[in-house]
Amino acid sequence: MINCRNLTKTIKDELVLDNVSITIEPGSIVGLVGPNGAGKTTLIKALVGQARVSGEIGVLGFDPRKQRHQLMEEVAYTADVASIPGWMKVTQVIEYYDGIHKKFDRNKALRLLKDSSVALDRKVKQLSKGMLVQLHLACVLAIDVKLLILDEPTLGLDILYRKQFYDQLISEFFDETRSIIITSHQIDEIDRLLNQVVFINKGRIVLNESTEDLVEKFVSLFVSEAHLEEARNLKPLHEKPGFGKHILTYKDVSIEQLEHLGHVGIPTVADLFVAIMKEAG
Amino acid sequence: MSIQWNDEQPIYRQLEAHVKSLILELAIGEGEALPSVRLLAMEFTLNPITVSKAIQELVHNGLIEKKRGLGMFVVEGARTRLLEQERLKFIKEEWPQVKERIEMLELSVSDLLGEVKND
Repeated sequence: MINCRNLTKTIKDELVLDNVSITIEPGSIVGLVGPNGAGKTTLIKALVGQARVSGEIGVLGFDPRKQRHQLMEEVAYTADVASIPGWMKVTQVIEYYDGIHKKFDRNKALRLLKDSSVALDRKVKQLSKGMLVQLHLACVLAIDVKLLILDEPTLGLDILYRKQFYDQLISEFFDETRSIIITSHQIDEIDRLLNQVVFINKGRIVLNESTEDLVEKFVSLFVSEAHLEEARNLKPLHEKPGFGKHILTYKDVSIEQLEHLGHVGIPTVADLFVAIMKEAG
Repeated sequence: MSIQWNDEQPIYRQLEAHVKSLILELAIGEGEALPSVRLLAMEFTLNPITVSKAIQELVHNGLIEKKRGLGMFVVEGARTRLLEQERLKFIKEEWPQVKERIEMLELSVSDLLGEVKND
């Protein structure tokens, strides 16, 4: 689905992407996670041919720099739909998409909007922020593409509609021939939806694992003061003080080495993010 | 149906355990159909691969069978088999810990059976 090697981009002598290589298979839901300015958006833009980069890029067999037009028939990117003029009515927005995207399914968009709080006869400028997001998402999910790129898709949505959106993502879009890339600041809300996690920091990929392997490689230990020294000797990646216990995160340390020291658990993606970003500096 | 996820086991293991408890509690009867992978993924907001993995374990365990074109079903005799497995697991893994705790707290059989009156 996606195969990139050594992507590099410099803006004013600063490396925005630093030798990024990444592979994404069909049927993946990938979480792209990084602090602001880490290079997430630049990487996404490179994938859809909106940013000039050096290196090899193959997306669905196309080079986005040369075959952007063909590629974009198979890709939907939320930032592309973010600029709908305010004077349009919701029904006109649907017509508009129907006109510009060959693979847009008008009836599906209307059906998805039925489950939302968006009234079809409203003008875009009369919609609340949450409604506007729902309109965007309904339109994006109605495009029958192979790759869906969601950049902070649920920003401005309340928890009820966020859950509904993730449900629809599974029920209305995802199957084993398609892939989804999601960036989000609310990782703890989507981590169980992912099967691949990519952390990016200062233009570099600092972690790229299947969620299945994450469980194998990383482990957290809740340890009391009595065993702290011993636990520290096993070289944790990260240590954070907790209520009466310290929480230490390890990479490639077996459960057998740790379990006599305290409670052993599986770190959340959010915990790992903090640990790895601290380590990466 | 809602699951309180913990950090002790991979998600697919927890989903597997959840389905097992549904079979034990007779919430899904033998011979009854299970929701599709997609529906289960939606229900719990999980990656469909995670759900498939849990189902695979249950099939491997002989508790669920896939019927081509029809979906997934709880195998006849699944509950009996599960009861045997879980009883064995309780006696081998959970009971020694419970027993240790009972001994530590110096509890007698009558304490445990609630026969002691509180003053």
